[in-house]
Amino acid sequence: MIHATTFLLSLTGFALLLLAMARHQQDWLRRKLPPSLGNGLRLSGFAALALGFLFAGVGLGWAYGAIVWFGWLTVAAALVVTVNTNRERIVRKVQP
Amino acid sequence: MGNKSFRQSMAWLHTWAGLLPGWLLFIIFLFGTVAFFQQEISGWMRPELAGRAVSDTALRAASRLLVAKAPGADRWIVTLPSDRGGEPLTVTWKSGTGEAAISGKAILDPTSGREIAVRDTRGGWFLYRFHFELHYIPYWLAEILVCAAALAMFVAILSGIVTHKKIFVDFFIMRFGKGQRSWLDVHNVTAVLALPFHLMITYTGLVTLLFTLMPWAISVQFPSRESYFQAAYPPGPERASQGEMIAPLSLDQVVDRAKVLQGGVAPGRIIVEHPGDVASVIQLWPSPTRIGGTSDALYLDGSTGRAMQMPPASGMATASRGVMIDLHAGRFSGPVLRWLYFLSGVGGTMMVASGLILWTVKRRTKLPDPVRPHFGFRLVERLNIGIIAGSCAGIPVYFLANRLLSLSMAHRADWEINSLFIAWGGLFVWTLARPAKRAWIEALTVCAALYALVPIINALTTARGLVPSLIAGDWAYVGFDLVMLATAAACTFTAWKVANRKAMALPRRKARVAVEAAL
Repeated sequence: MIHATTFLLSLTGFALLLLAMARHQQDWLRRKLPPSLGNGLRLSGFAALALGFLFAGVGLGWAYGAIVWFGWLTVAAALVVTVNTNRERIVRKVQP
Repeated sequence: MGNKSFRQSMAWLHTWAGLLPGWLLFIIFLFGTVAFFQQEISGWMRPELAGRAVSDTALRAASRLLVAKAPGADRWIVTLPSDRGGEPLTVTWKSGTGEAAISGKAILDPTSGREIAVRDTRGGWFLYRFHFELHYIPYWLAEILVCAAALAMFVAILSGIVTHKKIFVDFFIMRFGKGQRSWLDVHNVTAVLALPFHLMITYTGLVTLLFTLMPWAISVQFPSRESYFQAAYPPGPERASQGEMIAPLSLDQVVDRAKVLQGGVAPGRIIVEHPGDVASVIQLWPSPTRIGGTSDALYLDGSTGRAMQMPPASGMATASRGVMIDLHAGRFSGPVLRWLYFLSGVGGTMMVASGLILWTVKRRTKLPDPVRPHFGFRLVERLNIGIIAGSCAGIPVYFLANRLLSLSMAHRADWEINSLFIAWGGLFVWTLARPAKRAWIEALTVCAALYALVPIINALTTARGLVPSLIAGDWAYVGFDLVMLATAAACTFTAWKVANRKAMALPRRKARVAVEAAL
């Protein structure tokens, strides 16, 4: 359960960080968001990652939890990269 | 020195510190990654072992066996598998020294306690040992090579971070089908996403080699390394035998006693000195199942079971080193964290491989004569194919040999290992004779076929194929077969990608020049 929570928080965090970047906003939303919104997304992205660390640390002990957190960070980031790489394919599926 | 030239010099350093030991680094990363599942692999390679966790029944059976077969031995040694299994419960006894020495051994199932015959194999242990002591070469040479490679890896990571200008801007970006750019993206993404792991595993890897890399603290203060170990890890209490015999403590009582004294930590090895004597001493060596756990023994009085000496608390330096080595080996991790370790390791292996391939991709377009490249280029290209694809083909052959070699064969375990290297060497020679692109496709196809064969041969030669294991809920076996199939799929996909790669389009300017010339 703690593993799933940590993973989902990391995934959310990286997705928010992706959307905070102007280049990816253009790709995914076809427009650039105002800078204040971008900053908000970035901040909440980092907050989600930090929350994941908190969950892992409290739930699994700080030593073990920290290692687990790094592991899930890598997996979550890899997933976001995979989705981002296949954007065109996904967009075509969603809006044929 | 300006910022630009600093970055350039780091790029140069990154290229060469990465390339020269690159093939050794690939082997270390590949086999090290596999070794995270050492116990599970050992379990798969010993299909005779039905049980996994050590039961009290088995410990009592081991005690009965020792009392029956070696009542007056000088020493009993009992090796217990951890809860992850993979190893049988082994009991050994020894008496006398020199020519008069007598010894014996029995292998028991850790759960049922029955004596069983287990095939002669080194199991996952060999894959783990190979990642730092290599094979067929003397230990000191392997040590030097691995130390140099590990140092170069650390230099390559740090200089790579400086060289990679856009860690954050390009964090999520991977562009496919763009030749050199794509290879750089793969190299960057596998490096950056698992960067904490890469830094940790390389640094802690250096710490495991500490005494070889930095022997001076010891050599200044001690006449020899042995005397250092004597001082750092003094021998525990010893007692001469008194000749008065009593019934020895049963091993299950001994283990229970150790668990009570050490907060549930089960021993990995039990040594009983003068078993049955009133002056008997029992040593209990822990198995490393906790991060920062002790590696020293607990000593029990063999007649009463009272603690004679608890493992001493280690000093700060030893404790730090212990934690770092634990962090490197990941033996403390549960199943989920083990998979995370494994996935990051796969990322590291891909990082090294893509770096090596990138070296050739980057230079291919600049070759004066692409049809006849210079020697250095051909050397790197051939070593890439022969070592990256070759070592990947060796591993499934090791597993296949485990199932196919005759059980009564002499030096069977050695031949399993030889099979790995014969297949690797054979594939290496084969790829040398083929044009580079064909060589990649064929070698990867061979890899895919070999990995796909493993679950099939397993199902044909044992009663523990994928379907029976699924029904029995034997997740270690199911996982092993599925990883083999997934690897086969990955090799097929890569071979297909290489085969369908169009010849790189000319860069735009060159293409325009060509078109204009044609008009």
